Amino acid sequence: MSTPGAPSPSSELDRLQLWFQTVITDANGVDSGASSEEAQRLLQLAPGELEKVITRSRALSAAERLAIYANAYHTRLLECLGEVYPFLKRALGDEAFDGFAFGFLQDYPSRSYTLNELGRDFPRYLQETRPDDDVDSEPSDNGSSAEEAKDWPDLLIDLARLEWAIYEVFDGPGVEGQSLLTTDDILGVGPERWADARLELVPCLQLLATRLPVNDYFTRLRQAPAGEFVPVPSACESFLALTRRDFVVRRYNLSRTQFELLSGIQQGQPVGSAIEHAARVSGVGVEQLAQELKLWFARWTAEGFFRAIRSSD
Amino acid sequence: MGVGLRTVHFDYILENHPPVDWFEVISENFMDSRGRPRYILEKIAERYPVVMHGVSLSIGSTDPLNFEYLRKLKALANDIHPLWISDHVCWTGVAGRNSHDLLPIPLTETSLKHVVERIRVVQDFLERPFVLENPSTYVGFTGSTLSEWEFIGRMAEQADCGLLLDVNNVYVSSQNHDFDPEEFIRSVPHERVVQFHLAGHTNCQTHLIDTHDNHVIDPVWNLYRLAHQLTGGVSTLLEWDAKIPPFPVLHAEVLKARQHVGADLADEKMSAPGAGLEGVALAGDEPSEGPREETAVPHPLHHIAARVE
Repeated sequence: MSTPGAPSPSSELDRLQLWFQTVITDANGVDSGASSEEAQRLLQLAPGELEKVITRSRALSAAERLAIYANAYHTRLLECLGEVYPFLKRALGDEAFDGFAFGFLQDYPSRSYTLNELGRDFPRYLQETRPDDDVDSEPSDNGSSAEEAKDWPDLLIDLARLEWAIYEVFDGPGVEGQSLLTTDDILGVGPERWADARLELVPCLQLLATRLPVNDYFTRLRQAPAGEFVPVPSACESFLALTRRDFVVRRYNLSRTQFELLSGIQQGQPVGSAIEHAARVSGVGVEQLAQELKLWFARWTAEGFFRAIRSSD
Repeated sequence: MGVGLRTVHFDYILENHPPVDWFEVISENFMDSRGRPRYILEKIAERYPVVMHGVSLSIGSTDPLNFEYLRKLKALANDIHPLWISDHVCWTGVAGRNSHDLLPIPLTETSLKHVVERIRVVQDFLERPFVLENPSTYVGFTGSTLSEWEFIGRMAEQADCGLLLDVNNVYVSSQNHDFDPEEFIRSVPHERVVQFHLAGHTNCQTHLIDTHDNHVIDPVWNLYRLAHQLTGGVSTLLEWDAKIPPFPVLHAEVLKARQHVGADLADEKMSAPGAGLEGVALAGDEPSEGPREETAVPHPLHHIAARVE
């Protein structure tokens, strides 16, 4: 009986490759892989019959030889995920991190030619699996409160989202070597046309809204000596912008109003509409914002957030 | 004498412009990059000859060739003008999956025909010299009917492609499969060999693993001398992918090749314009096969970590 959705081999070589892959990627090892329904569908082998397909060497059985590939498969990909999420790994500890990463690889095996894509769905996996039960002892063991333990899964998910965003910004499209918007460019628009002007953000700018102040937590993790526990911050909706300058990823904490304003600009809204939207969502009057807006736009311009401005004329 | 370009050496290379003849770059590390890795590569390609070495072509897989991948590979080649593009005689996954490992091909007439047909398609698409490398392998198939050297020799002839002879891989596989590595070196079509790879490996006592994390051992140097003699000398590259030492140590390791082949090196097709590394201490670090290593993992693991403030 074939497994629903399982590929059917188109040739004996195809059958052998499907079998080999099934065996070496099994979460429970080569013996489990070889006896799995999928492997048996491809090659019916009784326990101990692996040597009908794989030769033994002078020193190793067929199963032991296959285990070299099985071990390499999991070790290599866990190592890669650890490099994409170094501070999530630091926060969780190696063993807990590898446990989640191992589960992730079973649900989201690589389907890309590049390892750079391997970790893309890890934040989603953590969100789907909500690592509450497995890791809520981690902060408690370090003297943290039940409240902190409750927030721990959200922090892990937010941290994973931040690390993936860093990873994308680092190697995605950037603006190095290009001229960006200056304060003079903005002043040149004139106040009467400012509300209808549209600002273009640099392509490397990403905006993140998180349930906990994960950007500060990330900074503390980086600064803490190895092995030192970093307390879980209190739950507090937080916002940040990521961008890249001179090939280095830069992080900026934002207020809710700033986040909404930049989000509106990112969506292509005219500056005036984006300001009104931000004021409305964050419950602040536009007049109240006026003085702050000048400072914000000056700072964001200096930090290279904007690539161009288009006024209506 | 070339060196594999690795992230940890980016700054050193840009600041010091070491007298390396050429660099081999891992294609997948750069083909999608629009950030620092690609910028660094373009800087290096302005100054040094490069060759592109891939790990994901999966020439032996029964999955269809990935033309999105090939398009990106070709685009990168058009930008950095490599002398050739290489990959491995292996498959990396099937049914749309990628193990990111160099998995072994059963050495049969059927798989030979399959690989040859695919190489022809790839070569036509890339429109550049294409070269394939013998990988280290850890299993053999009962269904295999050809020796590895017969397989890759016939493959190269029938597909009209070049060979990247990884001398360390020959040695590792010879120990794992109990064949004579010299017979392998003597049997491949020498005129097809355009490049050598050298690397260190890990001795797990019951088998060897191609870890690229150590110095080249003497038996591999001996095979290299033989290969050099039989081919007349071709471009030689040292791979070091784990426990990567400072660049001068890495460079000095590949320059040892000069000592092993002596004056014959003058015939090398990509000869060295630079001087050796005077002052780099090598005495006393002559390699030996290391202790049993339970956690040894074969290469490739190629990944570039982000820089963040």
